[in-house]
Amino acid sequence: MRDLLSYLFKRFIWMILTLLAVYTVSFVLMRAVPGNPFSGERNVPPAIERQLKARYNLDAPPIQQYFDYLGGIVTDFDLGWCMGLEDYSVNQVLAEGFPVSATLAIFALVFAIILGVTAGVISAVYRRSPADVALMAAAVLGIAIPNFVLASLAILLFVFTIQIFPAGGWGTLQQIALPAFCLGLPVAAYIARLSRAGMLETLSKDHVRTAFAKGLPKRTVILRHVLPGAMLPVVSYLGPAVARVLTGSLVLEKIFALPGLGSHFINAATQRDYTLAMGMVLTYTVLLFVMNTLVDISYAIIDPRVKLQ
Amino acid sequence: MTEDTHDETLKQETLERILRESREIRGVSLWQDAWNRLKRNRTAMISLVCLLLLGLLAFLTPLLPLQSPIDKDLNNRRFLAPNLDTVVMGSRPGLKFEGGTLTGELEKFRASIAELEAERLSTEDPERRQELQQTIDARINVEHPFNQMWNELGPLSWWMCQLRVRLFGDYAIPSLFGTDKLGRDLLARVFWGARVSLIVGIVATLVSLIIGVSYGAIAGYFGGTVDSVMMRIVDMLYSIPFIFVVIFLVTFLGEDSVKARLDAMGIDQITIFYIVIGAIYWLTMSRVVRGQVLSLRTEQFIEAARTVGASPARIVFRHLVPNVLGVVIVYLTLTIPSVMLFEAFLSFLGLGVAPPDVSWGLLLNDGVEALSIIDVYWWVVVFPGGSLAATLFALNFLGDGIRDALDPRMKNRD
Amino acid sequence: MPPEIRRGFVVFAALLTVFAVIWAARMDHIPPAEFALQNGTDPRTLDPHRATGQPESRIIFELFEGLLRMLPDGPPDPETGLQPLTPQPAMAESYEVSEDGKTYTFHLRDNIFWTDGSPVTANDFAWSWQRMLHPATACEYGYLISEVAYAEEYHNSIVNVGDHVEVELWDRPGETPSSDANIQHFPRGTMRYGTLREIVKPPRPELPEGSSDEAQESAELDWQEQWVYVVDVVPEQADGSIDWEAPASPQRFAASPAIAAADEAVERTHGVMVAFGKLGGAEAVDERTFVVRLENSVPYFLNLVAYYPLFAVNRQCIETYGAPLWTKAENIVSNGPYQLAFRRLRDRVRVEKNPLYYKADQVGMETIDFISLESQNTALNMYETGQIQWVTDLPTAVLQELKKRDDFHSAPKLSIYFYKLNTAVPPLDDVRVRQALSLALDRRQIVEEVTKAGQQPAYTVVPPGIAGYKSPQGMPENVQRAQELLAEAGFPGGRGFPKLSLMYNTSETHRPIAEVIQQQLQNNLNIKLELKNMEWGSFIETVQMEQYQMARYGWVGDYPDPNTFLDLWVTGNPQSNTNWSNPEYDRLIEAAAKELDPATRMDLLRQAESILVTELPIIPIYFYTSAEMAKQNIEGFAPSAQDLHPLQVLRYRSKPSPESKE
Repeated sequence: MRDLLSYLFKRFIWMILTLLAVYTVSFVLMRAVPGNPFSGERNVPPAIERQLKARYNLDAPPIQQYFDYLGGIVTDFDLGWCMGLEDYSVNQVLAEGFPVSATLAIFALVFAIILGVTAGVISAVYRRSPADVALMAAAVLGIAIPNFVLASLAILLFVFTIQIFPAGGWGTLQQIALPAFCLGLPVAAYIARLSRAGMLETLSKDHVRTAFAKGLPKRTVILRHVLPGAMLPVVSYLGPAVARVLTGSLVLEKIFALPGLGSHFINAATQRDYTLAMGMVLTYTVLLFVMNTLVDISYAIIDPRVKLQ
Repeated sequence: MTEDTHDETLKQETLERILRESREIRGVSLWQDAWNRLKRNRTAMISLVCLLLLGLLAFLTPLLPLQSPIDKDLNNRRFLAPNLDTVVMGSRPGLKFEGGTLTGELEKFRASIAELEAERLSTEDPERRQELQQTIDARINVEHPFNQMWNELGPLSWWMCQLRVRLFGDYAIPSLFGTDKLGRDLLARVFWGARVSLIVGIVATLVSLIIGVSYGAIAGYFGGTVDSVMMRIVDMLYSIPFIFVVIFLVTFLGEDSVKARLDAMGIDQITIFYIVIGAIYWLTMSRVVRGQVLSLRTEQFIEAARTVGASPARIVFRHLVPNVLGVVIVYLTLTIPSVMLFEAFLSFLGLGVAPPDVSWGLLLNDGVEALSIIDVYWWVVVFPGGSLAATLFALNFLGDGIRDALDPRMKNRD
Repeated sequence: MPPEIRRGFVVFAALLTVFAVIWAARMDHIPPAEFALQNGTDPRTLDPHRATGQPESRIIFELFEGLLRMLPDGPPDPETGLQPLTPQPAMAESYEVSEDGKTYTFHLRDNIFWTDGSPVTANDFAWSWQRMLHPATACEYGYLISEVAYAEEYHNSIVNVGDHVEVELWDRPGETPSSDANIQHFPRGTMRYGTLREIVKPPRPELPEGSSDEAQESAELDWQEQWVYVVDVVPEQADGSIDWEAPASPQRFAASPAIAAADEAVERTHGVMVAFGKLGGAEAVDERTFVVRLENSVPYFLNLVAYYPLFAVNRQCIETYGAPLWTKAENIVSNGPYQLAFRRLRDRVRVEKNPLYYKADQVGMETIDFISLESQNTALNMYETGQIQWVTDLPTAVLQELKKRDDFHSAPKLSIYFYKLNTAVPPLDDVRVRQALSLALDRRQIVEEVTKAGQQPAYTVVPPGIAGYKSPQGMPENVQRAQELLAEAGFPGGRGFPKLSLMYNTSETHRPIAEVIQQQLQNNLNIKLELKNMEWGSFIETVQMEQYQMARYGWVGDYPDPNTFLDLWVTGNPQSNTNWSNPEYDRLIEAAAKELDPATRMDLLRQAESILVTELPIIPIYFYTSAEMAKQNIEGFAPSAQDLHPLQVLRYRSKPSPESKE
């Protein structure tokens, strides 16, 4: 337990340092990019532009802006008001968008893990059988077809040909099904490939041979002895994948008209909404760190040889 | 004394024999061995042939009797379904080609140039000759009919196009893949797009490979503090909003002074584009490699190399890197297609191919846009998507094959 | 790790997954609204004085109401299908215009209320107009009413010695004399009024030659902040009026905290500005009478009054919550036919019928959803499956098919699509080159085969359909002439012509048009066009820095008058960015602004436009057309020239059948 706590503490320190570095680099980059949140087709008079800048503290010297904003974040997690979506603060945007993205991500991941692991196990156990070939071909296809093509085809099929799902929007379980499927399918394909490779690797290990030699039933050997070892690559893939899925997918959100977080990031960047973009970047960093930490801990739990360091 | 010399000769002979034998054995290197094993893997070999064929076709595209990839026949040929109707090069009325054919126009153009040439030869005045020569060059440069059919051909492509006209005349393959919303032939666009996409995919992936493998291997080999610092840097870079980096680069590099300086150094936009993609994609690569190296560095052969005094650089690049290649290649086969799609996203930000040039990513984007319930123009999605998927399939099987072939544990199986 | 933990971990992970799925499966289901429409990108704000785009305006037009409102007037035009909309009495029951067209008197209704139950009065309008003009509000539409007396000075915070001014002391609630202004509450510190006696200015800072415009502007503003104002302060009467001639006491004010702190006699202020509210430009004579005084007559003034930036906002609400919090559904107080029910970010804005609205019984729909939907295909899908009843933006790929349907509506809009040319860059500085480029374009092909919604090819700048105005003859396509002009300019057959770059912001509509133009110029003139797309922020910046050659632009008329399309191109207009300057043109536009006779004025504008379409600092491409679809069982839906759709007049012919709902 002690090593776990000290590990967590160390990770936390690293996260703070990384956040600080990411904050600094993003801050500089955003200001280096041409344009500002208030540039529009119509030029506003200089006096008014100055008022606007003052409203968001953009008239201060950059160094002061840097520390003022950082201070707000550190002292009360206040990421400030959005410069594009004026009526909202960044915290409100995150609070409204995150549950949507999280809901979608949960369904997509559960779907992906169940489908991917099952497919991977089946094709590893029945290696070189037609089932293996078919499943792996499907997995390659899942990776090969870009998300947006898949989504468009799925809409044509499930919304119009077989009319079982609504075309878009957010609010009912039916509306989640299609986007979760489209978001989860490539992940499922990756998991299938990874778990198949992991299974094959573990199946050739000595302890598995011993278990078979002992006369244990095939099911028991596979579930008890092979699967845990085979999951290691899957787990390490899942960490960043979860973070990515959680922050949403720009394309799918657009195609299915979902109010998730994904589009905020690109919109914030193109509208030069400095505060919102910063909020998104920092959220992503935290998510990524948390997920990677969870991966490391799971590693230590699954594989007795791995030590947390 | 004689005993001794006899003994010596015997020793000498044995030594020579051993040396001779060892020389013979050395013939099978890691690569040779892997290649032999790969040759036995039928799917991988078929994939390899397909990919080579694709590369060859993409390279020879200007030579193939395809329709023009940029000529838009808006009035008559928008959204034509795949068909076998014959198409004559240069027959679109808007081109105003002589006789409605490319060859006709070429003939006319050649005649007018020849006229100028004759005039040049007949004049005595050197200044006038010079002037005429300039006019001829400018006219070939600006008014050549090829400019209407293809965009910015390089010298090699230009030559291939000329050969194509000589070989096939005005014949062009019918629109087997249909046409797009502006009336361009999709088959030609898929081929010309392949040139861009393949190069982008391969070069950008190579850039990411070089950076990622070196970084990951170094971090993994040294381990400890070096490793954790290097990996934390990767963690940080993961979170840097690359979209700002790209926008920044696009505008910074778009400035006239910077542009001029880069041009002087022979760096054009597309080079920067490769570097940007490579710089974004190396992160995952370095993680993968580092993980592998971490588990390999305690293996005996590394210890052995260290004992005989090999330098760290030699150990990393000579002993460790070849051993992680299997994983790296599998990862590469997944990176190439995602780079091809990423290119389309970068085009959205203004970095990447600009019309009238085309790439598979752009074709797919356009295709999805035309995918609607009212009219299903399926061919604008299916053909570019199919090409991409087929390439990925081949890459994937080849990757699996190479991994198996490189895996020493697989050596004596099958 | 001991094996128990390992086993426990599996159980824990499984439980966690189950809980996660249960959490995710809980859904706050919202019943669909009676009427739903595609509203484009998510609205940036609901504050009428901060909004600029169409998605925002659609909502604000329903939530708020002005003295007048654009409403259908008579049956739709049988030919174009356009529904004429005219400014009609709304919060005002009637109005009078003085003979010289400079004084407007509005009489408000008796039975008008805010959603919190308080009555709407003329004071609300006086305050709202002042808020709109105040620089701290940063309303981008302030220039619209710059002809109202003192509005321009107030909006741009220009003061001169001798002006009657107002001074807002640095004592807004929560402010200390030295604190920084932070949350943007509308001005509500203590006000002092008086006549500006003197401005004590420090020496003007010298900037090095060649520093950028921006740096100069900024230095100028910094300098102005150092000014000390000497004002003869007069007391405010109990009824709010000011006797400017009353005995005065001179006081000193400064905006800079440093100066105010250094000198006891100087008081810190938010700013010294023309006392717009007290000078009668927009004045509440009594509770029910609102008078506007203009410096010059503005023929389209009633249209402006019916435009949303001039609608009323609730003073009490804004002062209680401050901006932008007052726009939250739980805080907002409005006076339109609808009131805000809730807002879900990037999803929808739900409004419901306002029971206190004076015509509530005539408002058709009970609830309306403004759905934030950017993707054209998605919107069409949702329309086809009955999730929305009105699509505002249709995918061009299928327009031809859709056009044949009965629920398709299309009508010309008061807006133009054009390319700006940077006339400072050779060879675009040569008018013959500009003309050649324009003459070589086949605009008909673009509107018929690319945009396909029935747009009109544009050879002039002012869209057709403005009453009393007829554009001059433009230059229609003529490739022969274009080639001759190009040869005259020194580029026979396109030889020697440098590669031009055409910039557009990334969009699926601009690229195909640019590609076709690229081909037309290549085919007709052997000119190579390099296409460069950029995302919006960089695009705008690059154009405004004038680092472009050709750039795509669009302009939507703010009001139905040629002036909104023509005054952009006068010398020095910050919107122009073309470096084009023509003294005769400037003179004509200025003369038109002063002209009282409508016919003469239109004639002056026409002369100006004919200069514009000969000199071509911009190449017009086409005039926009709206292309939208609305379900056929909806009554009262018709396109209009300014693309306004008053939603209160919509109703279902019969009650909607259940399957047309979500």
